[in-house]
Amino acid sequence: MIREFEGKTEQEAIDNAIKELNLDREDFDVEIIESEKKGLFRKGSVTIRIHLDEDDPPQEDVQGEAREDSTDFEDKVVTYVTNILDKMGFPGEVSVAFRRDYKLGLNIDSPDSGIIIGKKGKNLDALQLITNVFSGQLDNSKKVIIDSENYRLRHEEYLVKLAYKTAEHVKDSKRSRLLEPMNPFERRLIHTALNDILDIDTRSEGDGLYKQVRVFYKGIQI
Amino acid sequence: MEKDLVEYIAKSLVDDPDAVVVNMIEGEKSTILELRVAQDDIGKVIGKHGRIAKAVRTILSASATKTGKRAVLEILD
Repeated sequence: MIREFEGKTEQEAIDNAIKELNLDREDFDVEIIESEKKGLFRKGSVTIRIHLDEDDPPQEDVQGEAREDSTDFEDKVVTYVTNILDKMGFPGEVSVAFRRDYKLGLNIDSPDSGIIIGKKGKNLDALQLITNVFSGQLDNSKKVIIDSENYRLRHEEYLVKLAYKTAEHVKDSKRSRLLEPMNPFERRLIHTALNDILDIDTRSEGDGLYKQVRVFYKGIQI
Repeated sequence: MEKDLVEYIAKSLVDDPDAVVVNMIEGEKSTILELRVAQDDIGKVIGKHGRIAKAVRTILSASATKTGKRAVLEILD
């Protein structure tokens, strides 16, 4: 079986394929058939071809079903987060949003989601950190991601937009700009977004977990 | 209630949950929560560079917005 998928990046195309076919990354071979860059700030699209063994589909279904059943690990983690929210005074409904490789995604549905997320996702990150310390005692190989109101995706989009906007300013002014402190994951998004933009370079500055990204002009100085 | 919250989180992180004691001192504008854990478990509630303690304080502050009172967590050893 051969299927084709598209995405802004190779990784995104692969992720789309994984999502749609409900497979693990190891289950198929990837062939990149088209990778084009469009414009200066816009990343082009990548088309990939997925190769599957013909016998695979029935097996997939079994696997898909098995994945539907929640495990003991999941139950315990969901209960844990639910209890913390209760005790915080902001009860919410916690559900499994996705299972991917070693990651477990949880979603919180609550009328108080604004407070649960917090300023710049501060509360959500704290809750996620504590939950991961707890879940690490149950199964050290798994990582829990907690989200509410799609905050994480929205925040990622915001950061990529911020990166492009900053790059444009830097190109115009030829002066570097320092972004606010970010965690490693957020910084990586900025670096990757600006990776293939001409005349722009990025570098992390500072110490500790929350470093700042500097965006600077590396073209010909006038 | 904040005391329950801190107690629940602390107990979930340590090896010796029975040794977890939370003392609440209520002031006019703020509530102080004193957390005591077994000597060997102190690192577990503080974490590297205080990451865990910071996260617990963040969750506690979020919870305290409900009452409008400031909540302070003190980890005693």
